[in-house]
Amino acid sequence: MQLVNGRRLHWRIRPVVTLLVAGLVAGCGGESGEPSDTLRVALLTSGPVSDAGWYAGAYDGLLLIEDSLGASISHQQTATPAEFDEAFIAYASSGYDIIFAHGNEYQDAAIRAGEQFPDVTIVVSGGGRISENVAPLIFRLEEGSYLAGMAAAYMTESKVVGMVGGVAIPPARGTFVAFEAGVRAVDPEIEVLEVFTGDWNDVAAAKEATVAQLSRGADVIIHNLDAASFAVFQAVREVVDEGNVAYAVGMNSDQNAVAPDVIIGSAVIRIADAFLATARLWQSGGIGGAAIYANTEQDVIDFVFNPVLMDRVPAEAIERIASTKAAIRAGDVDIPRVVFVEGEDEGR
Amino acid sequence: MTGGIAPARAREAALLGAGAVVLTLGAGALLLLAGGYDPVAAGAAMLRGSVGSWNTFVSITLVRSVPLLFAGLAVALAFRAGVWNIGAEGQLYAGAVAGVWVALTFSGLPRPILIPAVLGVSCVAGAAWALVPTLMRLRLGIGEVITTILMNFVGIYMAAWMVHGPLQEERGVFPQTDRIVEAARLPTLIPGTRLHIGFALGLVIAVALAFMMRRTRFGFHIRAVGAAPEAAAVAGRIDPARIVFIAFLASGSIAGLAGAVEVSGLTYALYENLSEGWGYTAIAVALLAGLRPGGVVITAIFFGALRAGAGAMQRDAGIPAAWVDVVEALVILAVLGLERVRAARPGSDVREGET
Repeated sequence: MQLVNGRRLHWRIRPVVTLLVAGLVAGCGGESGEPSDTLRVALLTSGPVSDAGWYAGAYDGLLLIEDSLGASISHQQTATPAEFDEAFIAYASSGYDIIFAHGNEYQDAAIRAGEQFPDVTIVVSGGGRISENVAPLIFRLEEGSYLAGMAAAYMTESKVVGMVGGVAIPPARGTFVAFEAGVRAVDPEIEVLEVFTGDWNDVAAAKEATVAQLSRGADVIIHNLDAASFAVFQAVREVVDEGNVAYAVGMNSDQNAVAPDVIIGSAVIRIADAFLATARLWQSGGIGGAAIYANTEQDVIDFVFNPVLMDRVPAEAIERIASTKAAIRAGDVDIPRVVFVEGEDEGR
Repeated sequence: MTGGIAPARAREAALLGAGAVVLTLGAGALLLLAGGYDPVAAGAAMLRGSVGSWNTFVSITLVRSVPLLFAGLAVALAFRAGVWNIGAEGQLYAGAVAGVWVALTFSGLPRPILIPAVLGVSCVAGAAWALVPTLMRLRLGIGEVITTILMNFVGIYMAAWMVHGPLQEERGVFPQTDRIVEAARLPTLIPGTRLHIGFALGLVIAVALAFMMRRTRFGFHIRAVGAAPEAAAVAGRIDPARIVFIAFLASGSIAGLAGAVEVSGLTYALYENLSEGWGYTAIAVALLAGLRPGGVVITAIFFGALRAGAGAMQRDAGIPAAWVDVVEALVILAVLGLERVRAARPGSDVREGET
């Protein structure tokens, strides 16, 4: 119980505060808010940009905008809803033009900040709410995961495939619904297992869930996770090392190189391309009041086979997936999805 | 406060304070250099983002300090009574869930009734969350360190379940509640800023706790039981179980208030990741303040400034979140360490009965 001490702590803190203030006065003058013609773009993520997936794709997009449009860029990783507001205010009040908020969790704070700062444009990835200057950027990943489902159906020998998800939000459920439809389009008899761990980045939970599905006979596993996706690949690799045949399917970005020994292909969002296209759309004054869609037609959504394992894929599968992709581009395939944007209908 | 500090003592304290700053700055700068980042730009961003302007200080630093202030006071009160309440995080979530439930269910009530109802019920919920560990300690003799930590997990997952299930928004799409009505939102404390009256409420509670500890019989009993329960029982004819019971539940209710104040003052809806671990940071806040309510106000603002500056380091100096977290941890370690060094010096008044 020696914890009760620090009787004169404020004598300690006080000089700290004094020094902070003194340093501030001496150090940094006001240099914010300089009016300039440079495009200023900010990115907010609620996870690390080292996940080789969802957040990494967004960060690549930010760098691509810097390179292609000569924009000045900034990124902040935020954790709590209170921080979302703070980051929006900080960026908007220091003159940023576009803020990419990479996840639906930002949508309420984005609407609030949009009202307060009418000059800023906020793009919320996977968001569901729309205002004058807040637009959701909707990735039609269903199209890619439908193709992934077809690939899985061709690869499975046990006729059981599995899906391991993070949080069961509508965009994530949508990819699984479409994956299942893709599987059934090839073979309606195949059993499809589904689990959501409740956490995008919980490696232990994802591994456990994958092992459980593998032990129930699944031999192709697709995920919809962020940093925890590595655990899915690892679990599959372990059963492959034991001499079994099993595959994983990458998601959100081209993960084929992440685990080339087990990933048969990836359902891809070219997030970076979508971000650049969105920034260009902003420059031409085309953002506001409506959702922005990114799909197969624009080549932002895709399914790509892993070249390393390509020789194991039946020729029929490759042909059929290529022709289906063309049909999706033409708008001829009815892919089920989960609708979540305000005022959105079932249409494309 | 302390009346007669010898000048030498004051100088020593000031030196140690300056030492903490220099040590931290040095270590942080070296670390950033090693990572290939500009420490000067980082430091400038830290200062600009926390105390760079009046509005930054009020709208970001003070706003950030509010949950730490409540949770810090909750922890300080419990620790004073010898109750190791590590469960502020779970109590905070319980308070947030209860508060948002009241705000959504009784949304028709007028503001002067609705806001006190939201806050009052969150106190009850926080206390209820603390009740399980309290009874397990008093009736079964099970240490509250373990039970309060376990109740944290229950609280966090209970809140997650609530926003996926019973309290999910009406559209049933995203894991969050509907937004609470205007009448359930805390008014702004300083016009033109984000600071809400939750901060003032925290200050009032701090003053009340300080007064209670120092001037009331009950405060004396808490300190006596916290210092030596057997001695308090024998010599002071105090019932330690009663004191522990009251202090534990009061601590839980203040932590519960932290959650409701955050929701009705700032986020206006309940989300899964409402807290970034404030209930745990609050332990550092309370210890650094020497468990004194007045000190908690200062350390909570200090930690709020740290978090605010950390955000600016990412935005303005391009330093990744992980590096920022490491630098922040260094600051805390340096301050705590130097505080301990001072306390351990011969002749320093480590513990006195007087608060």
